[in-house]
Amino acid sequence: MELALSDDQIQILDAIDTLAKPYASVPIHDISFALTSEELDRELAEGGFLDVAAMEELGPETAALVVERLARLPFAVEAAASALVRPLLDPELPRPLCLIQDGAVGRAVRFLKPGATVVYLCDGVVCSFTANTDHVVEAQDESIFAYPMAVLKALPSEIEMRKYNVSADEVLTQWRIGLAAEASGLMAAALAATVTYVSERKQFGRPIATFQALRHRLAEAQVLTNGAYWMTMKAAVTRDPGDAALAALHAQEAARRVTYDFHQFLGAMGMTLEHPLHLWTYRLKALMSELGGRGANALAAAEAIWG
Amino acid sequence: MNFEWTDEQQAFREKLRTFLAAELPDNWESIAHHGPGSAEITAFSRQFCGRLAEAGMLFPHWPVAMGGQGLDAWYQTILAEEMWAAGEPRGAQYMNVNWIGPTLMKYGSQEQKKTLLPPIVAGNAIWCQGFSEPNSGSDLASLRTRAVLDAGEYVINGQKIWTSYAGLADNCFLLTRTSDDRKRGITILIVPMDTPGITVRQIPSIIGEGDIHEVFFDDVIVPESARFGDEGQAWEIISYSLRNERLGIPRYHLARCALDRAVGLLKTNGGWKGEAVKIEAARAAALTETARNACYAIVDKRVKELPIGPEASSARYNVVMAERAVSEFVVEYLPQALIDGEPYLKMHHQRGIVAGIASGAAEIQLNIIATEVLELPREPR
Ligand SMILES: Cc1cc2nc3c(=O)[nH]c(=O)nc-3n(C[C@H](O)[C@H](O)[C@H](O)COP(=O)(O)OP(=O)(O)OC[C@H]3O[C@@H](n4cnc5c(N)ncnc54)[C@H](O)[C@@H]3O)c2cc1C
Repeated sequence: MELALSDDQIQILDAIDTLAKPYASVPIHDISFALTSEELDRELAEGGFLDVAAMEELGPETAALVVERLARLPFAVEAAASALVRPLLDPELPRPLCLIQDGAVGRAVRFLKPGATVVYLCDGVVCSFTANTDHVVEAQDESIFAYPMAVLKALPSEIEMRKYNVSADEVLTQWRIGLAAEASGLMAAALAATVTYVSERKQFGRPIATFQALRHRLAEAQVLTNGAYWMTMKAAVTRDPGDAALAALHAQEAARRVTYDFHQFLGAMGMTLEHPLHLWTYRLKALMSELGGRGANALAAAEAIWG
Repeated sequence: MNFEWTDEQQAFREKLRTFLAAELPDNWESIAHHGPGSAEITAFSRQFCGRLAEAGMLFPHWPVAMGGQGLDAWYQTILAEEMWAAGEPRGAQYMNVNWIGPTLMKYGSQEQKKTLLPPIVAGNAIWCQGFSEPNSGSDLASLRTRAVLDAGEYVINGQKIWTSYAGLADNCFLLTRTSDDRKRGITILIVPMDTPGITVRQIPSIIGEGDIHEVFFDDVIVPESARFGDEGQAWEIISYSLRNERLGIPRYHLARCALDRAVGLLKTNGGWKGEAVKIEAARAAALTETARNACYAIVDKRVKELPIGPEASSARYNVVMAERAVSEFVVEYLPQALIDGEPYLKMHHQRGIVAGIASGAAEIQLNIIATEVLELPREPR
């Protein structure tokens, strides 16, 4: 057992914080439903932060830490698939990566756009293709889920897809770890934003954070968020399918418990685009349905643990 | 990071399992389900802990200077997990090795060490912890049981309640009020339970036999030498001694063992089919494992001698969630096992409910998290 971060990991996280400093808050007067930055994306890729999984001494565990840390930014960065799934397939695959399963046609996919790499899991086979305008319905300007998204219109024919000699289960495990890591970071940031708001906002002559009804629900959110972090790290270290499914399940359970509360505690301010809370919580909402949602991840966990 | 046990730790766990397999009688489960405070387990523990001591496994985590092996808190964790998973054959004596012994070592007088430690080390000492009172539960510092020093003797009057193991205990680690200062007016006395003037009444309960009691003190007289530490030092001592006791019982592990047992039974009785049961089992497992990881994160800090802060309250609340989820799973999918008295599940069901109250109620943990982890402005008093 060794549950502390290594010096290398601490350094990498510090470097991310430094690099991402200009992106740590929302640009003034910005009222976007989703925030993205090509420059941030480029800097992260060039800095090698999304490639740490393949580096000795760092590995998927560090990749999960990177994903968790980046998710705390108000800007949506495609990091989970690139940092955790791409190394299993081909480290040179063009970003962003989109992960889809059978039945994705007709649905909105995070980060989908012409030029994106779509990784497709179907009947235990892992393949990929580069999305073009034949596959993608023009992205909506306003995403309801605070991620850039577009609808997958069609799949290319089988021969147009590249196949990988990797088990779909292994990809699923990494996908689940990425999902849990991203949700952990989103919850941590959303909790922090909510804590700041309720500590400053006064009603009845005192900060609303002094009302126990809010305090206890926020404390529960802390417990769930802490749990999500540890489950993510354990799964990233063991890469055990059961651990990964439990991590994804817990992340989705926790997300479901906290997102509504966080908005609730901001009152009407929580309905505005001016306050950035939605930039985290509405990404969390998108993650709630991923990989089939809680039920599917729970079944996967039960299968892995008890057969 | 690394979530694996070392070879030495694994070997220690195996050694414990071998010991338990050899030492527990065939009808052990029918004894164990009475709970750690029962007459059955108490009697058994007086033999069992002696043999555990002989095998060097009663307090391997104590410093060498105290007669232990100086093993770190991971070994204490493994020891606790194996003992509790087996129905806690140490009975009430788990408290001795977790905190009473180390506290005697740190704060006791020479005389107290000389008389009180040998039975603990021999595995034949039952203690009880006299803290809570009818009007002082979560607000422990409001306690009122009086001790008045008069001509070299303390005269104690008052009442304790919920006192675990009191019925069969040899000694009580008693909190008394010696002055009006809220926290600095509290003094520890070590009181033999056969002292005249003490009356113990067991409280009938839903959590099994022998656990909770009322203890009355009517002009109970002990010598001044029964005082433990200085007058008014109680709060400092218990804050130090009990800092790890919030997580002293590895309840995440008990809950997970109960869950695994329940799934095993469902598989044999045909109940492990369809999606609902599997989804609910996995949801419970997600909570036992988040709780386990949160607790392990604290053990990791203890081993590194880093200060343990309010994250222990967060881990504890997670444990409460886990206990509750497993208990509810069994109630929903295996009620007959509880009715039939399947020993392990019945014990878990009876005692899991305790997690949210004993050693600091769940809401108190949430208060601590809100104020000390999230650093929210304090509630008005
Ligand atoms: C099985 C068992 C064994 C025990 N063994 C011992 C023992 O050996 N020795 C001993 O001294 N004691 C023992 N206790 C007592 C235990 O420490 C107390 O039960 C506990 O501290 C809570 O006190 P209470 O029961 O008086 O509840 P109360 O303090 O009356 O609390 C009742 C409810 O009110 C809530 N509440 C109280 N204050 C606040 C607040 N400020 N904010 C929000 N909510 C609040 C609590 O969280 C709880 O939900 C034991 C208890 C149990 C259940």
